[in-house]
Amino acid sequence: MTETKRRALYGYLFILPTVVFFLVFIAFPFFRAIGISMTEWAGYDQPRFIGLKNFINMMNDRIFWIALKNTFFFMVATTILQTIIPLLVAVLLNAGWRGDVAYRTILFLPNIISLVVTGLLWRMIYDGNFGILNSALTTLGLAALKRQWLADPSTVMPAIIVVSLWASLGFYMVIFFAGLQSIPPELYEVASIDGANSWQKLVHITIPMLWPVTTVVMVINIIGGIKVFDVVYVMTTGGPNHASEVLGTYLYVTAFGATGGGSPSMGYASAVGVVILILSMIGTAIQLRLTGRRTDVY
Amino acid sequence: MSTSSTTPTHSLPVVSGGDMKNPASYKTIHLLSRIAGYFILIGLTLASIFPLVWMILMSLKDRSETYSGSFFPSKVTFSAYEYVFENLNITLYFWNSIKITLVTVLAVVFLATLAGYAFARIEFPGKQIIFLILLSTLMLPGAVLIIPLFLQLTDLNLIDTHYGLILAYVGGGLPFSMFLMRSFFQTLPSELVDAGRIDGASEFGIFWKIMLPLARPGIATITIFQFMSTWNEFIFAATFIHDPLMRPLQPSLFAMVGRYSTNWPALTAALTLSILPIVIVYILMQRQFVAGLTTGALKG
Repeated sequence: MTETKRRALYGYLFILPTVVFFLVFIAFPFFRAIGISMTEWAGYDQPRFIGLKNFINMMNDRIFWIALKNTFFFMVATTILQTIIPLLVAVLLNAGWRGDVAYRTILFLPNIISLVVTGLLWRMIYDGNFGILNSALTTLGLAALKRQWLADPSTVMPAIIVVSLWASLGFYMVIFFAGLQSIPPELYEVASIDGANSWQKLVHITIPMLWPVTTVVMVINIIGGIKVFDVVYVMTTGGPNHASEVLGTYLYVTAFGATGGGSPSMGYASAVGVVILILSMIGTAIQLRLTGRRTDVY
Repeated sequence: MSTSSTTPTHSLPVVSGGDMKNPASYKTIHLLSRIAGYFILIGLTLASIFPLVWMILMSLKDRSETYSGSFFPSKVTFSAYEYVFENLNITLYFWNSIKITLVTVLAVVFLATLAGYAFARIEFPGKQIIFLILLSTLMLPGAVLIIPLFLQLTDLNLIDTHYGLILAYVGGGLPFSMFLMRSFFQTLPSELVDAGRIDGASEFGIFWKIMLPLARPGIATITIFQFMSTWNEFIFAATFIHDPLMRPLQPSLFAMVGRYSTNWPALTAALTLSILPIVIVYILMQRQFVAGLTTGALKG
């Protein structure tokens, strides 16, 4: 055996476990999901091939449209808030402060806490009867604003979005912060000599120089928004009465039943999964367009 | 990425305008903007930590005081923690989580490093196409896979076992970590590999003895990333394991709320305990943590 061939053999050997895991636990399930999405199947009986009927039924499924609308709302709101606010905080922090490492450490802290703990904790904070939020409003003389935050259809989505912002602010802030540190200080020095004020520096230097980082943050937000599941499932399971239903929770509850009632449907749930897949592919396409290169963010 | 201490590169863009030509007025504005800046920063920091402080204080309350509405406990008691240890099986859930996380992290780190090295430094036919196929799934939403994975583990008789969950975690985690390790190995000089080959070292010997020690920073990154995502994972664990005694922490915490929904001190005590190890490690090695968790977003 030649040296090159022997070496290639080692190459195959080294990647073999990864490839096998990939085939068994990603590739095969992926194609199976697409197959199941074209069947009518409760999970225990015989699957029946029905072509694209699940997707056609979706068009007339009121709950599907609610879930799609909520997912879209969540995605747009979090992408805007979780880009602009971390950007401003990073710029602020970058101005140099006593104890800045401590601020950064604490701001990042919520990011390492699981979404289960985050969701359960905020459920107690938002609790309509005994939650600290309503107590605080009473103390501040704003008792009129008291709500059953997670049980009120008009406040449930904003309440979840606030939690998402709380959990991710430090993460995105650190990404922006790294971007800020890589802007050459000379740019600011030259601008100062030219008499630019802080605002002009922000608009004409900082924000344009941060644009590549900003697109990355926006794309992570867009794809994360399409895939949102844990925080909604833990806080509301999509309730009250589907007011916070997103595609992820709708898929899960349809497949495995939780509070939904009705018989489980693996076929229909998989079809919802295919919709999530197509939306994330669109998100990735936007990413490729914006960044003009093959970046990989999940 | 750099997490070193900040160097002030420019003044604060909070206040603009004002008579910049007058030094005294400029000084006043500067001072005011500094004060405003501290206010905002401290306010945000407090907002970030407030829910966690509330959680800890609640866990130190007596059960009778749960709904008193006061922020601080009138008397600090550890009875909620005693309750959690005695009645809520928390040590068992911890043990399950540690076992699952440890095996998953070891497997992912070893296999991803091996494959990442091969993709970076060994030539073999079909390398590019195999790599691209592995890479194309990085954006695959977990929601798409949960149904078929559940069916697959059922077929393999692995539902309700730690093995099944670990296999699913390893499969899901490998491509991403492999990709990071490949990028890392590409930054190491290839002369080292060539030198090893000339010295007659085996391919595995080169990997194990020469490259692996140099890859430590990359390994630290994927270890932290995989550790965090496995320890915090919820929905696979909740779906693939139904036996309450087999479950790791996250789904167990979720299930507790259903059963002990009114016992807030016990619930918050359990939540506090569940994050304690991670918070301690985070504070001790925060630079590596922040790097490990954000690298994925910036690499590419």
